[in-house]
Parts: sequence; structure tokens; C-alpha cells
Amino acid sequence: MTKKRLIPRLLQLVLIIIGVYFGFILLFDVALHQIIPKSLLTMYMLFVVAGTAMVFTFTEEGAQELVGPIKALVEDPSKKMIRNVVFVIVPLLAGYYTYTSMLPSFEAPMELRTIHPAPPSKFKAFGKSYNLTTLQNPYRKFEKEDPAKFKGLVKEGGDVYIKNCQYCHGDKLDGNGPYASGLNPTPLNFQDVGTIAQLQESFLFWRISTGGPGLPQEAAPWISAMPVWQDYLTEDEIWKVILFLYNYTGRAPRSWANE
Amino acid sequence: MNNRRLGKIMSPVNKLALLTFCTALFMAGSAAAKPGTAAKGKEIYDKRCTWCHGADGAGDGAAKDRLNPPPRDFTSGNYKIRTSAFDDMVPTDDDVFRMIRDGMPNTAMPSWSSLLSEQDMWDLVAYVKSFAKYDKPPAKLVEYGTQIKSSAESIEKGKKLFEEGDRCVECHGKAGKGSASKRLKGDAGERTWPRNLTKPWIFRGSNDPKDIYTRISTGIAGTEMPSFADPKSKKKLTEEERWHVANYVASLAKGKDKTVNAENTVVKADKVEGELPSTVEDERWEKTSPTTFYLVPQIIGGERFFTPSDDTITVRAMYNDKTVAMLLEWDDRTKSIPGDDAAEKIADAPIAEDGVAVQLPVEIPKEMQKPYFGMGDATHPVNIWHWKSGTKDAGETVNLLNSKGFKEIEKRDAAGVGLKAKSSYVDGTWKVLITRPLTTSSADKDIQFSEGRFIPIAFAAWDGSNSEKGSKHTMTTWYWLLLKPATGSKPLITALIVAGLFLGGLLWWARSAKSAA
Repeated sequence: MTKKRLIPRLLQLVLIIIGVYFGFILLFDVALHQIIPKSLLTMYMLFVVAGTAMVFTFTEEGAQELVGPIKALVEDPSKKMIRNVVFVIVPLLAGYYTYTSMLPSFEAPMELRTIHPAPPSKFKAFGKSYNLTTLQNPYRKFEKEDPAKFKGLVKEGGDVYIKNCQYCHGDKLDGNGPYASGLNPTPLNFQDVGTIAQLQESFLFWRISTGGPGLPQEAAPWISAMPVWQDYLTEDEIWKVILFLYNYTGRAPRSWANE
Repeated sequence: MNNRRLGKIMSPVNKLALLTFCTALFMAGSAAAKPGTAAKGKEIYDKRCTWCHGADGAGDGAAKDRLNPPPRDFTSGNYKIRTSAFDDMVPTDDDVFRMIRDGMPNTAMPSWSSLLSEQDMWDLVAYVKSFAKYDKPPAKLVEYGTQIKSSAESIEKGKKLFEEGDRCVECHGKAGKGSASKRLKGDAGERTWPRNLTKPWIFRGSNDPKDIYTRISTGIAGTEMPSFADPKSKKKLTEEERWHVANYVASLAKGKDKTVNAENTVVKADKVEGELPSTVEDERWEKTSPTTFYLVPQIIGGERFFTPSDDTITVRAMYNDKTVAMLLEWDDRTKSIPGDDAAEKIADAPIAEDGVAVQLPVEIPKEMQKPYFGMGDATHPVNIWHWKSGTKDAGETVNLLNSKGFKEIEKRDAAGVGLKAKSSYVDGTWKVLITRPLTTSSADKDIQFSEGRFIPIAFAAWDGSNSEKGSKHTMTTWYWLLLKPATGSKPLITALIVAGLFLGGLLWWARSAKSAA
């Protein structure tokens, strides 16, 4: 014989499923700020529902106890009142769900973004051709050889940055400049460990000098607002601004020597 | 509202946020106890702040000429956001700390709390104050009296005071949008724009009534915003009156239409049976759902532009079986009419017409690739519908351009494809209605609209009183236009069938259970 439980088995089942659902939401959406796509969540929940139902109906007795209240609702004449209420609510819910899921959705199409497109081995800028595999920042050597001169170069790079780049990439280099929110995709955050710290200076030189229009064919969705800086800056200015980016964020560029 | 009720209506997340907020407030208060060291502040300043504010704090860093408002000149001793009495220029340490921690919204000054520690920011406070040789706290602070809570009655009183004798209206305009009747200057000689009070997110010092009260009381140093607590002022207000005005100003921020919602990137055109609205005032526009986008200055091609005055554009759209109509709305403080004396006086010379443009791909992309957002590219041409406000002698115009990048532009006949525009300018807001037939006879040159497809769309705007002309303008990147297909009755009918099936199933179950018993 089943003993009287504090929470009926059916309610337990429902509570567990609801608990897991909100657990997902709380963990991903709220705590980690990584919103789970609805389709993925639906799939997870399908497993959760199936799994929990399996555990709850593992023994004959357990299964009986689980469906007991439902059977009683339909069969027990003394529950007529609740039965009528349930018989109205369930079809209404089913109808409502069908209606809302059939309404056309007007969500904007998804555009996945390639963050670090594979660079070409060669590219053209300033009227000449550069070999990306051998290209180096001509000023980097002064970091060790002549720190005072290097400091001056960083300062010059900073002046270039503040006059040209901060509007989007921000005073703090965090990709959150005054006009960042007007752009899609949003400007790159150089403070983030996953950006310039993962790249060689030559890659930056390529991205800065040729901008959004210089992205290779596979770099979908081709909507970067990055200007073509070779139109506005000199080669020297670009190398100096690269020094500044690393210096300000305290990051080091990747190089063949360190690999 | 008592606390228990508050607890009930607040979600746990809100509670957590409130708790964090209170802790932050508490910490901000207690942190004032640890004074900063100017020498340490100098180190941080030299690394983080010199770029704009200059090595000697004179506001003359490299960025100076490309920022409006320009970076603060600390040697002037003027601090815009302070809580010391109107005749005491010295800010409190908390005032300076707050500007560093929270930044100055809608300017290049960011909130530094994500990069600097609290101690770093206090050290900066000490160093920054030394530029104006401020070594003592202010002698007097703003007096608040008893705060008057906002109410319909208080707002009404505030409105009267706001308008009375042109007190605030003179600069902020009747609708509070800062539609100027005067040309204003800052202490560095720069053009300053009166605050658009209907957009609370651009207030430098927040639009909480207490903050507004403080601004009204102290004035804004280095600008033409005066103190209304100054007994010598003809427009002086008592403490009580200032609370009413503060409540009124806070109430101006009620409309959500011009708030950008980052999730909402689609202009949804409703389908209309019969005629489309033929004026910007048509009441049916109110029923459509607006979509608002940020406008950013054009810095990608040709002559660049760094000091915009227009900041957002709001778009509504409708269509019928023949035509699509778009209502473009944006706040612009000046109606720029070349040749008009009053308009020329307010404008930065040379004055040009105001303008707005809609950009659409000639061919709706089938895949993800769109034309380059800056006027298209060699293989993906765009249509540009360019409206201009007109001069003293000539009326408004609408031009049709086809372009493949900003160097290859073909001017076409707008009337030939049925492109029309009509506008109104009221209290600092332009509204332009643009219509075009869904299809034209030149499908290789004009976009052919079709229902239910996501069509890339971008916008641009020109404030002719702010030296904006040609490539100097504000713009958006690509967003979407969707001609919403009529839903029809299919979902409703299906839903009814499903509900019926469920009900039938349940009844059948109950019946068979009964007969079994």
C-alpha cells in the first residue's frame, strides 16, 4: 500500500520539470548571459520530461501512484466539479498554444558572424602588396631597444586612436564607444582576451588598412562598418596605433617567435 | 506603498538588482571616507585621460576638435554636474567621483568603473581637482528643502513655471525638445545644444527629479544654462517651484516611441485595405508600431563628420495592394531654411537644407549578402530616396539616386517612378512621409517590393544648421523592412479544431470510464 506523501507524486513530477526549466533559464540567461536558443531548450526539456517520467514510472506501484490522481479525476463521480473545470481549461490551452504558434513570426533573420576570418597570405594596400606571413611591425623592436622612443611611438598611436577609433571602439578600448550601439555587428572589444591577444600584429594591420570591404569572401555576413583606413591613415600611423592597442590593454601580440 | 506589497510585486531578479544597487549606494557613500592621492591619480590620468583632457588638464588632448561636447578643461574649474550651491564653483569629491564612475551619457566620456578600481577613481578625483587648485570642499551645498513628490498637480504647476515668461521655453522649446530660438555657446566657444528633455537617456546627470532639481538650482557651469536659485535672476524659482519644474521635466520623458530597442530591428509595415494615409498627421499612424534606430555620424567615406546633432530616427510603415508608405520622424532642434534670416542666424554657416534618406537594395538579396551599407557596391547597387527640406525660395524636394558606392552615383527621375514625399516640422520634430508604388516599370533599376520578405533598409539624416551637407551626415547601418502579410483566419480555425479535438477526446475518455465502471 502506498503511504501518504507530503507532496503527491504527480505534483513532484511537475515540480521537478518546472524546476529544471527555470534552472536552465537562471543558469544560462541570467547568470551567464548566454541565452539558450528556443529550439535547443525545447530539445533539452524533451529529454528531461522523458527521463523524469521514466524514473517516476520505473515500478508498477510508482506508475499507478502517478496516474492515480488523473484516473480519479476522470472516473471518480465526486470530482465532477474539478473535472468540468479541467475539461474546459485543457482544450482552451491547447487551442491557445496552436493559435500563437501558428501566428507568423516577424523576428529578424539570424546573421551569424565570423569573428576571425582566415587571412589571405597576401593582400594589397597603400598601392603595394604585403605578405601576411612575413609582415612585422617595424616599431615593435624599440620596445626593448629604446624604451623612451617606444613610449613616444605609443603616444603617437594613442593620438591616432583617439581621433579616429574611439567613436566606435571606445575610450576604454572595450568596443563600447559613443556610437557603438548604432552599429551591427558591434565594434570589437580589444580588452577581451579573445581578440587582439589572439592575433598577430600583421593581422591587425590587414584588418585596419582594408576595413570591412576588405574582408574575404567567407567572412559572412559582410556587414562590418570598419572603415577602409588606408584612405585616411598612413602606414606608419596604423603601425603606431597597433602599438597603442596592445600597450593600453596590457596584452601582447602573438608572434611566430612565441609559438 | 508599504514594503510587503513592494516585495510581492517585485520579481526575485529585481530584488537582487535592488540589493546590489543599495550595496553600491552604501559603498559609494562609505568610499568617500578614503581620500585619494593626487600623485597616484596622475599616473592613471597620464595613461587614461590625457588623450582627451590633455596632459595639463586644459581639455586640449588630440581628440579636442572632433568631439562635441569638447573634453572638459579642468583648469577652468567649471564642472557641469555638481551639487555645490550655485555661487560656489567648487564641486564636492562625490560629484567628481560620480562623473568618473558613471561617465557623461551621450558624450565620449565613458563610465570608468569597469576598468578602474574605486581607489583609482578617488586618486583621480584628487588629481583632477588640483588642476583648478580646488583644495577645499565647497562652502555651501544645494538646498533641497522638502522634496515634493511628483503628482498631476505638481506637474501642472511645473509646466506653468516652465512656460511662464519664456523661462525654460526660450531654449528648451515648448515641447521640451530643445528646438532652439537662440544660438548657444559653451565656455570654449563651442556650439552647445539645449537638452532635448524628452530623451532621458541623454541627460548627463540622470533625469531623476532630484538630479533635475540640482541642475535647475546650480545651472550648468560653462554653458548658458543659468541657476534658477540665484536671487538676482529675473527668472528665479523658490525651492518648492524648482521641485514642480523638476517633476514636470521628468514627466516629459513619457513616450517610448523614440527609445531604441536593440532587439527590434525590423520596420513592420501593416497591410491596409483601401487608401494609405496621405498626410503625416493621419491618425492611423498612431496605430502602427514604431521602430527607432540610432543615427551615427558618417566616418567611413569621403569627407568625414564627427559632431552630429541628430541622434535617432523613428520609422513607421504601411502598404496596400499598390503602394508602400513610410513615415520618418526625427528630432532636429533647427528648421534649416537657406535664405531665411532667422534660420541663418541660429545655424552654423554655411546653412544647408535639412534632409533624410532611405536606402534600399535594387534587388532584394536572396542569400545573406547585402550591398555595402555605405551606398552599395559595384555588384550590389542601391536605391536612395533623398528628401530635402527646401530653401526660402524653393519647396521641399525628393530625389531618386542609384549608386554603386559613394563614387558612382546616378541621379534619376523620382516622379517617373512615382516617388513622392511630404513633410511637417513642429516643435523640434521633422516628420516626412515618403511613398512609392510597390512595383515600377524598371525592375532592373528599382526595388520591387514584395510581401513577407525581409528587405534590408538603412537611413541617413542631415541637420543643415549643423554644417551637415553631402557626405557630412548621420546614418544607420542595415536594418530590415517587412511588408507584413495579412494573417488571415487560418490560425484561428486551426486553433478551434485543435481545441475541439481535445474536448472530444476528454469527453470520450470520461464516457468510456463511466461505462467501464
